[in-house]
Amino acid sequence: MDGVVQLQKQLVDYIASLFHEGFLDEQFNQLQQLQDESNPDFVVEVVSLFFEDSERLLNELAKALEQKTIDFRKVDAHVHQFKGSSSSIGAHRVQKVCIAFRNYCEEQNVEGCLKCLQQVKHEYSLVRNKLETLFQLEKQIIAAGGSLPAT
Amino acid sequence: MELHRDFADTQQKQKQHFHVLAVDDSLIERKLLERLLAESSCKVTCVDSGDKALEYLSLLDSQEIEYSADLSSSPPSAQEEAGYMKVNLIMTDYSMPGMSGYDLLKRVKMQGSSWKDIPVVVMSSENVPSRISMCMEEGAEEFLLKPLQLSDLKKLQPHLLKSLVHPTEDISTSNDHGSDDNKIHDITTLNDSDNVLVSERKVMSPEPLERRPKINGLLVV
Repeated sequence: MDGVVQLQKQLVDYIASLFHEGFLDEQFNQLQQLQDESNPDFVVEVVSLFFEDSERLLNELAKALEQKTIDFRKVDAHVHQFKGSSSSIGAHRVQKVCIAFRNYCEEQNVEGCLKCLQQVKHEYSLVRNKLETLFQLEKQIIAAGGSLPAT
Repeated sequence: MELHRDFADTQQKQKQHFHVLAVDDSLIERKLLERLLAESSCKVTCVDSGDKALEYLSLLDSQEIEYSADLSSSPPSAQEEAGYMKVNLIMTDYSMPGMSGYDLLKRVKMQGSSWKDIPVVVMSSENVPSRISMCMEEGAEEFLLKPLQLSDLKKLQPHLLKSLVHPTEDISTSNDHGSDDNKIHDITTLNDSDNVLVSERKVMSPEPLERRPKINGLLVV
């Protein structure tokens, strides 16, 4: 059972670091609180939806910003969606970039938008990796017969 | 002690039959909202646009006409088993492509609308005071900021009660619905491909509160 205790401590520390470094915020706690015996995979489900949705949005954004004449309202609409979904799962750093991104859209600043696209891609892939690591840890704990630490 | 009996009866009704129509174009938001509402023992129908919301409300209206012929003297539980359950609350996102939440609100609250008395709650990720007052002026019950949390659902308790009780009665006590032992999860979802087809799972018929098991519905979002 020592192995499980180690893993559980690792998980708790890992989650704490993600909050500390600003990758996740309070909203992620809310998600965890909504997970229970009747909804045991709630967090993974919502986050998976977020991953799918984000990939789609990043593609749309890249396409929209490649156009000869950029439709900034379209770009803004996509960023608005991205901001909403990242905020809903507590992906704090992604959300922050989206806010800056929307400002550039409003100013119709192409360079600013392109910069933000790179930034948001970067932040998204970072938080994606972190969350996947988190879920892996949880899987290991469950596989070893342990239970997830209470949030 | 008539009031006490009515209140207990209402609590029973609420735990069994509270039907929320959730309108949001984001899949993630719909999933979150559905889970939050299920946590408060509500039956939830999710749609992804204002147009779909209106279609669904119209569908229920036509079902009501159909069912009331057969079930006019039946209790709500019988109507529900027949698949019909009127909407007690609409929760809509403000910013949606096409018909906005504000447009939907206006349409529901329109003079002569058969849905005028259904409370509407508007949600938005943006805190814009003019937007908020616009919605409240148009008859919104409440304006909630996203992302929604469990504590926001508590704000809705008075509205949940209000629409189940006779309009002239005034119940201002708030309920604690934290108990786990009588959750009913019943989800109906309209997808783009479904038009107005509704896939429903029947809610189990009500049992006395103390002996009701946890009923897990399938989540289709």
